[in-house]
Amino acid sequence: MSLRLLLVDDDVLVRSGLRVILESEPDLTVVGDAGTGREALDAAARTDPDVVLMDVRMPDMDGIAATAELVARDPRRPRVLVLTTFEDDDYLFRSLQAGASGFALKRSDPDELVDAIRVVARGTSLVLPDLTRRLIASHAPSRARGAAALPELTGREADVLRLVAGGLSNAEIAGRMHLSRETVKTHVSGVLLKLGARDRTQAVIAAYESGFMTA
Amino acid sequence: MHPTTSARTPGPAAEVVTRLRALLAAARPGWPGRALYALASLPIGALSLALYVALLGSVFAVIYGVGLLLVLLVLATIRGFGGVERQLAGILLGVDVPVGERVRHQPGVIRKVRRLVQSAGTWRAVGWLGARVLMGAATLATLFFGGLAFAYLGWGADWNALTALPLLALMAAVVGLTLAVLDLLVRLAATVAPRLLGTSPEQQIAALQQSTRRLADRTKLARDLHDTIGHALTASLLQATAARRTLTPHDDRPLQPDFARQALGHIETNTRTALAELDRVLTVLRASDSGAEDGGRNPAPFAAPSLADLDDLLAGLRDGGLPVALVVDGEVDDVPPGVQELAYRVVQEGTTNVLRHAGCPLTVAQVARTGDVLVVRVCNERASHLDSRPGPGGGRGLAGLRERTAAAGGTLSAEPSPSGGFELCVTLPLSGAA
Repeated sequence: MSLRLLLVDDDVLVRSGLRVILESEPDLTVVGDAGTGREALDAAARTDPDVVLMDVRMPDMDGIAATAELVARDPRRPRVLVLTTFEDDDYLFRSLQAGASGFALKRSDPDELVDAIRVVARGTSLVLPDLTRRLIASHAPSRARGAAALPELTGREADVLRLVAGGLSNAEIAGRMHLSRETVKTHVSGVLLKLGARDRTQAVIAAYESGFMTA
Repeated sequence: MHPTTSARTPGPAAEVVTRLRALLAAARPGWPGRALYALASLPIGALSLALYVALLGSVFAVIYGVGLLLVLLVLATIRGFGGVERQLAGILLGVDVPVGERVRHQPGVIRKVRRLVQSAGTWRAVGWLGARVLMGAATLATLFFGGLAFAYLGWGADWNALTALPLLALMAAVVGLTLAVLDLLVRLAATVAPRLLGTSPEQQIAALQQSTRRLADRTKLARDLHDTIGHALTASLLQATAARRTLTPHDDRPLQPDFARQALGHIETNTRTALAELDRVLTVLRASDSGAEDGGRNPAPFAAPSLADLDDLLAGLRDGGLPVALVVDGEVDDVPPGVQELAYRVVQEGTTNVLRHAGCPLTVAQVARTGDVLVVRVCNERASHLDSRPGPGGGRGLAGLRERTAAAGGTLSAEPSPSGGFELCVTLPLSGAA
């Protein structure tokens, strides 16, 4: 069962390059591409992709707005992986806040990029965990909404959230807490449900914004 | 305990300095610092007086023809003394005195001397010296009369059961008054210090404006780098990665030499554009560097590209295979630099996008001035490119251009032309724009 990808970038050269690189992977299929945020919305409705690779700065609706719109339509799919030229903190954090599941640098090694796409699709760990955690930790506290925003978690769930926010994958959490992966998965789902987070990236943002985690 | 501990013990002199530092650091805010400052006024006042005498003496020496050197030496000493005073005020009073221009940073002896004599800072330091002499004298007088009154009340007055209480009160009043006057003097010094020892408000404003300007220039440069070189390199990298994959045999994947050939063409064009931009940026950086050698007082103006640079830009594109012509209508030499730069960017973005999206069709760049309006247009014939894709394209740079055009009060349109090509057209007002 291969992953369906939608490429969104205003530069046709970036798109055509990405298409060739990604299509050479047996488990990835590029089902469409778009040059603007608005085109991306149409293409997503038409092609029903699993993952959208989204550029940030584009004419006619940027990647942040397009991500927010996609999430508003359906919080479960597609997932958005933001592709960026530079580690511009502010843009990246805003796109995560808008609902992107992670980000990758356009200059990253093709294998890393492919990995990031698979991780986003699976949702069992963060993409670039260290970078993502640092980004959220450094941006979220300034916009804190107060601890009241975080609903009651059981002790186990709180422990799991702390490890998720620490960038650990389900497998790593299972090892750390001496639980089965299935149990961890159940706890993570419970946490996401209580936080109203669509994926673990959003859960990490909620954890920092609520003051549950501190930078 | 450890034998190494004694080896690391600092010498007695260093220890004294360390202790003094700790003492000063502890005294930093509040009254202990001010008290120390008041006490220091006595020796410093005496030193200031000596410097004054030296200055006057050397001036007389000049009159008698001994030489200018002595005056300069004394002036330099006074400036140096001002620096020490600045630090003292900072440590003891917590007064943040901004550092004025540094004469010793001037290149060459002659310029150093000229700045030393011409700098308002030097003469303000001389003024500060006078204030210090007065303050030292006032401190001395206050302590003297305060002490005298205290001694008289203590030993000279007739103490008995009836007078003891009023006399004690009087003594307390004398101590209080003395301290209050000393405190007043210190506060006065704290108020005057920034004005006489630091930079004048005008200098500060000028420095602030200059650093703001530099920051704006750097931000702009960073944005330009991001939009041009960063973008071109990213596209080239992805094309190169993809091309290598299409040429590497792998299982059932077919080789795609056509794609690879096309990708190499894109990489060539992108790299050429990026290098041209790098060249421009480096020129700008070198220009502002040589401006900084001037003591930073006259930084070179940010060398933004102008309409005159269009010939070079288009020549580079022609080398890259794009048949492009430039048409300039009307008098454009007196178009404001800001508008000229924006117009250059329009042509740059338009022509680069033609290469990127349409291959190498016949292209015309037009700059026309009619009255108070500048129209910049880039249009190309029907695309010859295999991967052609009209539509808004270009994008990143185009989005930036749109913002900047709007900010300049102009309008931008980018759309397919009736002949099957593409047209980018920007209209810029010349009045009220910078």
